Amino acid sequence: MIDTFLMSFRLKNAYQTNGIIYSLKSIPVIKKLLPVSLYRSPGLKRLANFVSILWEIISTFLSKLLYLFIMIFLLKDHMKSSPANSFMHIFFFLTVAGGFLNTQIFDPTRDKYYAIFLMRMSARKYMLSNYFYFLLKIVVGFLPFTLLLGLLSGIPMVICLLMPLFVVSVKLVFTAFALHSYVRTGHAKNENKFNPVALIGIAASLVAAYLLPFLGYAINGAIFLTLFVISAVMAVFSFSYVLKFREYRSICKELLTADSFVMNRKDMAARAVQKSLQTNIEIKATSSKSGYQYFNDLFVQRHSMLLTKSAKYITLISLTVLAFSITACFLIHEAKPVINGMMLTFLPYFLFVMYFINRGKVITQAMFMNCDHSMLTYRFYRQPRAILFLFTERLKSIIWINLMPASVLAFGLPLLLWLTGGTDNVLNYVLLFVSIVAMSVFFSVHNMVLYYLLQPYNIGLEIKNGTFSILNSFTYFVCYFAIGKKVPTLIFGTLISVFCIVYIAVALILAYRLAPKTFKLR
Amino acid sequence: MKLILNHIVKSFDKKEVLRGASFAFEKGKIYGLLGRNGSGKTTLFNCINEDLKIDNGSILLEENRVKRELCPDDIGYVLSTPVVPEFLTGREFLKFFLDINMKKIPDIKPIDEYFNFVKIGMEDRDRLLKDYSHGMKSKMQMLVSFIANPCILLLDEPLTSFDVVVADEMKRLLRQIKKDHIIIFSTHIMELALDLCDEIVILSGGVLENMEKDDLSNEAFKDKIIQALRKDEND
Repeated sequence: MIDTFLMSFRLKNAYQTNGIIYSLKSIPVIKKLLPVSLYRSPGLKRLANFVSILWEIISTFLSKLLYLFIMIFLLKDHMKSSPANSFMHIFFFLTVAGGFLNTQIFDPTRDKYYAIFLMRMSARKYMLSNYFYFLLKIVVGFLPFTLLLGLLSGIPMVICLLMPLFVVSVKLVFTAFALHSYVRTGHAKNENKFNPVALIGIAASLVAAYLLPFLGYAINGAIFLTLFVISAVMAVFSFSYVLKFREYRSICKELLTADSFVMNRKDMAARAVQKSLQTNIEIKATSSKSGYQYFNDLFVQRHSMLLTKSAKYITLISLTVLAFSITACFLIHEAKPVINGMMLTFLPYFLFVMYFINRGKVITQAMFMNCDHSMLTYRFYRQPRAILFLFTERLKSIIWINLMPASVLAFGLPLLLWLTGGTDNVLNYVLLFVSIVAMSVFFSVHNMVLYYLLQPYNIGLEIKNGTFSILNSFTYFVCYFAIGKKVPTLIFGTLISVFCIVYIAVALILAYRLAPKTFKLR
Repeated sequence: MKLILNHIVKSFDKKEVLRGASFAFEKGKIYGLLGRNGSGKTTLFNCINEDLKIDNGSILLEENRVKRELCPDDIGYVLSTPVVPEFLTGREFLKFFLDINMKKIPDIKPIDEYFNFVKIGMEDRDRLLKDYSHGMKSKMQMLVSFIANPCILLLDEPLTSFDVVVADEMKRLLRQIKKDHIIIFSTHIMELALDLCDEIVILSGGVLENMEKDDLSNEAFKDKIIQALRKDEND
């Protein structure tokens, strides 16, 4: 079994190494410097290999540290129960939630597919050895931090030492149950797929984890120890069940088929989008236009479920929030100055809101998936005139769709400002309106231009363009950092409006110049 | 009319796929382009269709002894896997195509006539292309490549996805239109090439070579072709 494990570890390492080289090669400038023969180069391979192993070690520890620190340690002081009890309590219930979330065995990953079906390794040996490695990583990764953070919270050392073993016990029990349910139903549950029972279990555990200690009800050391002993006893039986289980291969067969085969969570999200992109076509829609307008019109209408409906929902939600705020103004007297102050200084926050509610990215993905990936193979569709004409049509649609929710904010914010006592400078009203509209158009243009200039997707909606990922993360971080910055609306509104207008102009000029060359299949 | 390929070179990184491929394809004939897997058939098509830039050489069209560069309207390219806009019905796709190519198509016919031409039934014309079978999608793709009436037709493994009846229809159709076109048909099914094509051209070692049948029997000709394709191994 150790041989199988070492082999599978080497296999995983080999493609992680290649993955590192591949992602290096997708960064613009570096790409030019690196030849294809890189995959053979022993020096770089060793380096990438080293990085890959280093990452394995760091992730083992770092993920556990972050988890304990952020999810438990930071929050324990805000509870009514004592820090030590809160820590143990939250840890207990989050571990139960983790049992629902991930057992490793029912998580369909690329590693398993490669090893078991392509390399024809023994499924049982592969699954078990990797499962034990997974459990070992839990113990080793958790131990230093349950000790450190546990002792700091005032938990007895014995319990700190037992905590990692508790996690392992819970994993084992959940795994045994999942295996048993496979025997009973003949159906392997894919962990990455929506499962109502698991979802309810996770939700209930989360509520129990945080709400109970917040209200002052938390388990103490004695109860924790009792629960640990119970779970440990169950884990012993579970362990023997997992070890004796014979049908790993058939589980893998069911989990790792082309349809359910999901490489990772990000991929799953892409696939879910893809699926929704492909199914919701409403044939009823018609159009009286012609040519590219006809084409775009039908596209938008046939995918209204995906394109306009969510924008309409966001509009509705914005209206509700607005109505709520207006009511608050009238009912709660203290709310007025707070909201008034927000309108005059909180505009940067709306940069993030506008980023968040903009449907541009999903719309461009839908354009690619449902239209461009097939149409771009036709030469007439790639003619500069055609590309630019359709670009204009689409830009109109995308701006229009995004303006629906934006208009609620654009009218709502000045209204709120007025209702809460107004301001001396009339310009504030204008700027609130203009900057919200400008930001909405900005994000629409930004998404469209990035799509047309970089066309980053392949057929699986994986992003195959390093520049695109970098620009996207950059946009996100800029918007994210705007949160909580208090800048007078007069200043921020003016700056952001001017920036948006300049950006839109430059981006459109770039798109009209370059899109005919850059808009193509990868 | 002739399509003249002159010493075409194309490499990817350091792998040289086309190493000076030259050939003159004439109007009125169907050329079968045979080559082994990975020999560069699709690369050659992509170069002719300007999807890929060639590193060296030239691709010209000779008409009445005058040579000129190719323009997009000269070429119809049918891919081996059919791709169509799935959110449109067959009729809508054709309407859209006719709308935007109105000026280029000499005599536009009613849409149903085009459907008749490729034998797509009445009941299917107003269904979403998403629900078309593989073969029907291929037909649609071929149809839009034919309608614009380009003088060069590049067909990349087009008949493999058709059932025998449709494949036979398509063969007839190609024979019917060949007198006005230069048709290059890539395949690695030798029987199909021998059955349908007037000339066999092999792509081997990055160059094009015409296979003369002379007075060989079919079997002997097949052997000759296989021998020629084997050369790749010895390179």
